[in-house]
Amino acid sequence: MEGNILIVDDEEVVIKSCQRILEPEGYKVKGTTSAREAMDIIKNGGTDIVITDLKMPDVDGLELIHWIKENSPQTGVVVITGYPSQESIKDALEHGIIDYLPKPFSPELLIDVTEKAINTVKAKVTEEKPYEERDVEEKIDRIMEIINNNKHKPGALIPILEQVQEVLGYLPATVQRIIARELNIPVSEVHGVVSFYSFFTMKPKGKHNIRVCMGTACYVKRGKEILEKLKEHLGIDEGGITEDRKFSLETVRCLGACGLAPVVMVNNNVHAGVDPVKIDEVLKQYE
Amino acid sequence: MPRLTVEDLKRIKEEYLRKHDVSRYRAKVTVHMGTCGEAAGACKILDIIKEELSGSEGTDILITTSGCAGLCSREPMITVEIPGRYPVKYCDLDEKKTRQIIKEHVLGGEAVTKLAFAQGWENQDIQRPEAKPYEGIPLTDELPIFKHQVLRALRNKGITDPESLEAYIARDGYMAAAKALLEMTPEDIIKEVKNSGIRGRGGAGFPTGLKWELCYRAKGDLKYILCNGDEGDPGAYMDRSIMEGDPHVVLEGMIIGARAIGASKGYIYVRAEYPLAVRRLQMAIDQAREHGLLGEDILGSGFSLDIEIYQGAGAFVCGEETALMRSLEGKRGMPIPRPPFPVNKGLWGKPTVLNNVETYANIPPIILNGGDWFRSLGTEQSTGTKVFALTGAINNIGLIEVPMGIPLKTVIYEIGGGIKKGRKFKAVQLGGPSGGCVPEHLLDTPVTYEDIVKTGAIVGSGGMVVMDDSNCMVNVARFFLEFTADESCGKCPPCRIGTRVMLDKLIDITEGRGQDGDIELLEDLARDIIKTSLCGLGQTAPNPILTTIRYFRDEYEAHINQKWCKAGVCRELSTFYIDKDACTGCTVCARNCPVQAISGEKKKPHEIDQALCIKCRTCYEKCKFGAVKVGPRDMFKQTVEH
Repeated sequence: MEGNILIVDDEEVVIKSCQRILEPEGYKVKGTTSAREAMDIIKNGGTDIVITDLKMPDVDGLELIHWIKENSPQTGVVVITGYPSQESIKDALEHGIIDYLPKPFSPELLIDVTEKAINTVKAKVTEEKPYEERDVEEKIDRIMEIINNNKHKPGALIPILEQVQEVLGYLPATVQRIIARELNIPVSEVHGVVSFYSFFTMKPKGKHNIRVCMGTACYVKRGKEILEKLKEHLGIDEGGITEDRKFSLETVRCLGACGLAPVVMVNNNVHAGVDPVKIDEVLKQYE
Repeated sequence: MPRLTVEDLKRIKEEYLRKHDVSRYRAKVTVHMGTCGEAAGACKILDIIKEELSGSEGTDILITTSGCAGLCSREPMITVEIPGRYPVKYCDLDEKKTRQIIKEHVLGGEAVTKLAFAQGWENQDIQRPEAKPYEGIPLTDELPIFKHQVLRALRNKGITDPESLEAYIARDGYMAAAKALLEMTPEDIIKEVKNSGIRGRGGAGFPTGLKWELCYRAKGDLKYILCNGDEGDPGAYMDRSIMEGDPHVVLEGMIIGARAIGASKGYIYVRAEYPLAVRRLQMAIDQAREHGLLGEDILGSGFSLDIEIYQGAGAFVCGEETALMRSLEGKRGMPIPRPPFPVNKGLWGKPTVLNNVETYANIPPIILNGGDWFRSLGTEQSTGTKVFALTGAINNIGLIEVPMGIPLKTVIYEIGGGIKKGRKFKAVQLGGPSGGCVPEHLLDTPVTYEDIVKTGAIVGSGGMVVMDDSNCMVNVARFFLEFTADESCGKCPPCRIGTRVMLDKLIDITEGRGQDGDIELLEDLARDIIKTSLCGLGQTAPNPILTTIRYFRDEYEAHINQKWCKAGVCRELSTFYIDKDACTGCTVCARNCPVQAISGEKKKPHEIDQALCIKCRTCYEKCKFGAVKVGPRDMFKQTVEH
């Protein structure tokens, strides 16, 4: 395994024995007895994980962990503790450490934990957050505002979902979890409602959302052919979105504009009397 | 803003009528702006009119807007009225026509006869001024499309500005509420509504007065009044039109209903797919609150009611009352068994009345004019008028209101103007996915709850889709089953599994895998599903199948036995060929064929290469001589084998 490891412990012997166990495994291991010095080393970059004691004179382990989370969040932390009390571990876990080593620990355990920590850190660096989470993070203030404005009203769930969907364009699992937590109801209940109503969607919409009317009047006037042509043209299925997130395609029960059948709605524009053969002319206006 | 009293209402009415009296202006132009109108470009027409009249020439001209005018396929539309002359309706407008009308009619005073559609007043209860008609423009009183209609629920159609409270008051708006709150007891209101005989306009046709009476008698300190604006039937948009075009009438109907049953809180459940309706209703609610027509102590009567909008999220089953109430509670909209009925235990367990938009729109005139007035139209068991959304293969597509008891034939051939492009009538579909198809030989059936049910269809909420001979009835049944199978909420197995099994059978039949006994199996399943489903959705879902089997059994048989879809809709079961005797060699088919499968010399019979044909139906639809025919799937295969 490869990786740069920093051991922080006020007992020199712990540093030495860690180096002796980990270096043959292929890691580069540095050590320091002072948390303050550790901060300087981490600042210079290149440290993948820090294995630190909790109880140390001057600056203690918890403070160091806190500092790392603030200043070098990509660095992983493993905690060594001679007093594996519930409290100290709980504190450390809350600061987002990867794992902990109770003193005394076996060489096997140290190797295992180190390997796991390195893998976790590396996975985090390469893995980009899914776009759903990014979308939600971007709008989180507005989402919380909607929830807080509605949460005390009876039957608040559906209005909240409607408004959040208006902001986000769709309702990914992430946001359903947030809503469930804030309303203090099970996620299953939120998901049950989202999946029940056709107005709610868990898939993002394209920049231009195309809705093909499948009402009776449109259907008898070749609405289905329009849908087939659109699928073929965009290379996506019903409910799908093109790779560049430009177009998404869906069907609706009835737009209530039967006099104009067959009807296709792109964003908020109604295209009336659409000819399936000339569908690309409609799309061209949006490209 | 001051809280209004009855005196204020009268004063506002007089002021508004004086201000909008056409004789005070050189001309009045009304632009009709419902969803259809806006989609067809009414906003642009309004801009053009404003632009044309922005100069000094345009002074003294009143420009106003209204909701949907009912002629959906002829939008955009405007009405021009000049003092002393009949108001003229213009349809199918574009920029050029609009500018011409402004110049010649609005400013010049002479109607543009060749662009005019009709002249006169559609709304029967309007005070007609002294006026002279124009030469050469049909009168609304005489045109078949208008003369059979009686506007009651749509009484403000095309004349009032939906965004103006004053405009509504000028049409006696809130006078019925005032009468109900100040002069009548709840018992009086219920008696009047019962006397009118009005039945719920949402589909099931339950007597409204009886529903109110049951809820009035139910014990409870808190009661709710709900309005069902979750118009889910494909092909129906009556309620949307009323909510968009006359939102205050919905509020007034609800105030009267609330007073009758003793409700203090109301919700209007509207589809989120109707943004314009939501916007206009919200505007109306705000105006009503501001003027003391909603909220505490309405019109000084001591009675209080507040109404909120609740946006539905698109589930057909939410038209069912118990499902709608679950949805209002923020849950999955699934129905629950009745009893207990919502009038005793409805929203949040409290006594609740739910009525449809059109029902509420009928209430104010009943209170003002009396139940006897209402039942003066219609039949013994189906009183008053009903609004229909007339669509499909018909010339005049739009929203109509007719007295109950009018024969279907009159609706289709006179109001609807007959079948498009001279094709042949095949069936009319009534009541959406819960309804059925009525064939030609039953077109004398009067439109009443009791007579339509005998045909196997239902009046339903008012969707009326006309089908011509280019429609395949098996495919139509499949379409409706796809709808109900998809919209089944999944709670009860007969509906959830039954509709799916029926749909699979229909798919088999339309794709050439039909077998002997399929029709009987479908009939059998249908009967069981009707008997055992929990709610109206399942109980009515088989209707489209049962009616199409009943009246078009030969089509099912042709699909199953001959593998032949005579309408050429089911691709797997049709072969398109050209009748050599009928073909004139006009080349239209060959030029329109997307795959160049048609060949032939000019003025000589053409031929379709079966190997290339993709069965797109283009030639069949384009041929003016009916020379393209549809044969069974194997018509050419057999000749090869012999």
